[in-house]
Amino acid sequence: MQEIVIDCLGEACPVPLVKAQNKLKEMNIGDILICQIDHSCAMKNLPEWARTDGHNVEVDEVDDGEWEVVIEKVK
Amino acid sequence: MSTFKETMLKISNNDMYKKWLKTAWPYVTGAVLLSLFQIATLASTGNPWGVSGVFANWGAWIYEAFGGSVAKWYYFSSDGAQATLENGFLNHAGSWRNIGIILGALLSVLFASQLKIKKIKSKKQIIAASLGGLLMGYGARIAFGCNIGALFSGIASLSLSGWVFAIAMFGGAVVGSKLLVKFFM
Amino acid sequence: MSDTGTTSTIKRSSSRSRTKRKPKKSQLPQATFVLIVVIALGLFLSGRDNGIAWFFVTGLAFGYILQRSRFCFTASMRDPYLTGGTTLTRAVLIAFAITTIGFTAIKYGYFSKGLPIPGMSYVAPISLATVIGAFMFGVGMVIAGGCASGTLMRVGEGFTMQLLSLTFFTVGSLIGANHFGWWKDVFTSKGTKVFLPDVFGWFGAVVIQLLIIFLLYIAAEKWQDAKANH
Repeated sequence: MQEIVIDCLGEACPVPLVKAQNKLKEMNIGDILICQIDHSCAMKNLPEWARTDGHNVEVDEVDDGEWEVVIEKVK
Repeated sequence: MSTFKETMLKISNNDMYKKWLKTAWPYVTGAVLLSLFQIATLASTGNPWGVSGVFANWGAWIYEAFGGSVAKWYYFSSDGAQATLENGFLNHAGSWRNIGIILGALLSVLFASQLKIKKIKSKKQIIAASLGGLLMGYGARIAFGCNIGALFSGIASLSLSGWVFAIAMFGGAVVGSKLLVKFFM
Repeated sequence: MSDTGTTSTIKRSSSRSRTKRKPKKSQLPQATFVLIVVIALGLFLSGRDNGIAWFFVTGLAFGYILQRSRFCFTASMRDPYLTGGTTLTRAVLIAFAITTIGFTAIKYGYFSKGLPIPGMSYVAPISLATVIGAFMFGVGMVIAGGCASGTLMRVGEGFTMQLLSLTFFTVGSLIGANHFGWWKDVFTSKGTKVFLPDVFGWFGAVVIQLLIIFLLYIAAEKWQDAKANH
């Protein structure tokens, strides 16, 4: 089981989402992807996409205006 | 001082605070409320909401501040446009609405305790932002508006131009997405 | 949707556990300060001209709503193609439907009393300039990460990148205004304004437009399902 961190700080939509999608494709089931973001829109659309895609998702507010979206690949 | 900090921390963890000032609204809530103010805007001011026409005035004021003159430009040639330019920024209602949008967004992030200044990260972002801004500005001028004036207000006004704008804008968004993934990521 | 840490179900390695985090600061003092400045500014404007103050207030409302709901016209046009998501597209369609009804009610009210219909300058002539301009706008908003309203909102959110695109938006507008005469001569002046009630009648126009919005909504829903299952 792997834990991969991608740094999307300072990136505007849709960059975090596309990066996460691409990364998730390369990963194995059970791996965890952590996206560091500071774009409040990505904080909404990234978890939403990952949930519709069927993964386990958690959003963690790390600092003022900074989040970590934790995605566990389940399929 | 420490009690002040403690109080602030207490508020931050309060459920009522989170509910009313922090948690993001669903998109549909946004749609309903924007529509409400859009309708109120037409009812009270006689015109729907517009954003980008204001930027042409901002450009003209800056250009004139550097000694240029737009008096002979067809776009600014009407008496109304000339009067608006002469009255200046402070008396221009549309400019204040745009300033309001910036400040309203700032208040929303601050009350949610989520403000962070995001610095430009790379050269790619500089190119993307400049090129994108230029295209939007130019496009909005020749197509009589942006996503608000031409699209949102156009469609709401039962104008076919709004739908034509929507289709062409969608085509542009698809091409833009391809460019973004290829060059700007 | 909750955006703060509840009990975790995803097991993460200890090096990144949440206990190590620095305590969060609250920005409520700054928020209160900005609110006071905004109120003072509003009072200053209303002292000069109530109309301008009202524009300022609606701007504040638009900005707050856009940010709080993360409403984004760019994503509504981009995501169906780029990610297959249509949640925002559908929200935009709902906004179109509500405003169609509200706008028509206002316009019809004036029309039935024989008064000039308000907001008719937003019924723009359709020509190749509309298509080219809207296409340019569509490309621009996706690469700049925000449309006109979105750019303003993101400036308020602290994005330096969008401050830059706002600057160039202004430059682009100025160049566009400069070339406007040419576009007018070659395309716009030959374009036609189509106000749908002139073609289908008031009732017909609203029914047809709402039906189109409804069909687009269904299509958006099906599109997302198809993209998610593939």
